[in-house]
Amino acid sequence: MHPKQEPKMRKVFAGKAASPGYVIAKTKRILRQRFSISPIKISEDDTAIQIESFRRGILQVKKEISSLRDLTIRMAGKDEARIFDSHLMILQDPSLIDDVISLIKNDLWNAGYAFHICMQTLIENFEKSDGIFKERAQDLKDIYNRVFFHLNSDESSLVVQDKVKEGVVLTGFSIGPNMLMHFEKGKVLGLAIDSGSATSHVSILARSMQIPAVMGLTNLSESLDADELLILDGTNGIVITNPDKEDIEKYKKQIEVFQNQKLELFTMRDLEPITMDGKYIRLNANIERFEGASEIISFGATGVGLYRSEFLYFGRDSLPTRSEQAEAYRNVTYQLDPLPVTIRTLDAGGDKMLSSISMETEANPFMGWRSIRFCLDRQDIFREQLKALIEVGDRGNLRIMFPMISGVLEIENAKEIYNDCCEELKAEGFVIPKIEIGAMIEIPGAVMIIEEIAKRVDFLSIGTNDLIQFTLAVDRSNAKISSMYEPHHPAVLRSIKMIVDAAHKAGIPVSVCGEMASDPLSTLVLMGLGVDEFSMVPWCIMECKKLIRSVNYDEVRAISAEVLKFPNSDSINKFLREKYSQKIKNLGISSFITSRNF
Amino acid sequence: MISRKLIVENSLGIHVRPAGNIVNITGPAASSVELVYAGQKVNAKSILNLMMLVIVPGSEVEFIINGVDEQKVADELTELFKNKFYEDAS
Repeated sequence: MHPKQEPKMRKVFAGKAASPGYVIAKTKRILRQRFSISPIKISEDDTAIQIESFRRGILQVKKEISSLRDLTIRMAGKDEARIFDSHLMILQDPSLIDDVISLIKNDLWNAGYAFHICMQTLIENFEKSDGIFKERAQDLKDIYNRVFFHLNSDESSLVVQDKVKEGVVLTGFSIGPNMLMHFEKGKVLGLAIDSGSATSHVSILARSMQIPAVMGLTNLSESLDADELLILDGTNGIVITNPDKEDIEKYKKQIEVFQNQKLELFTMRDLEPITMDGKYIRLNANIERFEGASEIISFGATGVGLYRSEFLYFGRDSLPTRSEQAEAYRNVTYQLDPLPVTIRTLDAGGDKMLSSISMETEANPFMGWRSIRFCLDRQDIFREQLKALIEVGDRGNLRIMFPMISGVLEIENAKEIYNDCCEELKAEGFVIPKIEIGAMIEIPGAVMIIEEIAKRVDFLSIGTNDLIQFTLAVDRSNAKISSMYEPHHPAVLRSIKMIVDAAHKAGIPVSVCGEMASDPLSTLVLMGLGVDEFSMVPWCIMECKKLIRSVNYDEVRAISAEVLKFPNSDSINKFLREKYSQKIKNLGISSFITSRNF
Repeated sequence: MISRKLIVENSLGIHVRPAGNIVNITGPAASSVELVYAGQKVNAKSILNLMMLVIVPGSEVEFIINGVDEQKVADELTELFKNKFYEDAS
């Protein structure tokens, strides 16, 4: 008897629009395979990444057990919590870690299998013994399960089952940004991912690579067969499996519209970002590596508003030397001369760990030893970076920006170190250029004293992602409260107004970098509040230019002044949609405006 | 180098908690610390190694400590064993 084969039904999945565009293609599922218990022989090139993922998994489990221990201490007392101390000790046991690493490095086993056999041997040995020792096997099993749970939910720990020959839509539970980079250019046509949102790092990457993406599809990947055909609508956040003829016809037309709008948008490249009544708004790009520099020109940006220098420090065991850094900075500033290039000094710590420096696990990494705090403590590292920057400042249009400023003392200390470095370089025979120095404002406390900060710098840049997160006390990566992450919350908009007013009073410009800059409605509100410059992913620049060229600055100012009177996001968004929706629709960039915030 | 022989005097032997107490001393130490028991020598900074030896009450174990803080480590271990790992009293 044959099992009944049910014909698969057309089904529509709604997720979160993360990167605009449409694709009709076959799927390729990414499996959580790297930490499968089954043995997989890896290549020597992969040993480092396997070991790194193993360490990261252990680190996460340690974090989890530590918080469990702290909770137990509070609820039950120190004695009851002692078992967790032993668990933590087992997790960092040098002989266990050495054994696992040796199995990866020398025997070329995948991390999951290596950990599996080490733990199984231990568990078996304990089970063989008597009495109290036998019970210890249970502790080990508990640790074993926890580690596997974490290794499997770690988004960077995924691999694709086999090589991709033709263009596909990747599906799976989650995908890390590194994963995407493993594929040949053009092989990934789209992303349809079960977890994540428009603000996930991979979404940002998808937008800059112009790959349509839908995130947060919950259980899509499980319901798909291998190589199943689907339609991915990254503009509206929809996936259709088993599409019928009408769907395919409809989306073929959509793809055509999209291509035309894309061509249309490219005509924006050489035009100025200027409003109908003549107000010039700088549209800069965010970049992470110097390879991004040529992109800046091809998308018609007016400069770089945020160069994330920490990427020079990631993925290596030693710190980049001054000359290595100078070369990387020079690559961007010289190439883009005379466009301004704003380089943010090392913004590490928190969730962005450097493997070259051992950092402790923190309970609140976002509010911890990171960014400028880290740099002011580790002046050896900070000075090397500043000197590299000063060294290349003689040509091009370089600006230096200090991240996460919370008060005047940090600015003063950072500037003092900067001046010190200038003196030292002068002694080395360098000509010291005049470089503008700015502060990044992302802490609500800094907003309260913004006039004091504005007096001490040459420009301000608002990091909206963190400012919103800290102002509203909302962790945007927590799905349960992510709807509370409201970019148009009156507290956020009023904070931005305070920053703009203080900057203008001090005679300096204000820029906004952060996801908010690439949302059309937000761009208009911020422009109306008086923001002078925006910095966004390169791809969004042309649509933003088109938007700016379609409005009157005076009107936008008046609407934002009105917006400041509203008591909550809902009324603000309703008002904004009334004022701007039609205008945005008429721009003919509909394929590019995802429903990401509204 | 210091060699220190100690008797396990608590009622349950070196199970997970006493092993943890030992690693609390040996782990952060600059010295290398090895433990010899029943003809086996293991790294005494590894809680798993210590547990695997299944050291029963009344046994004698030998610590071999080598490094700048060897005296301090030896004294702390002696104190720990003398106090029966601070567990029988409670």
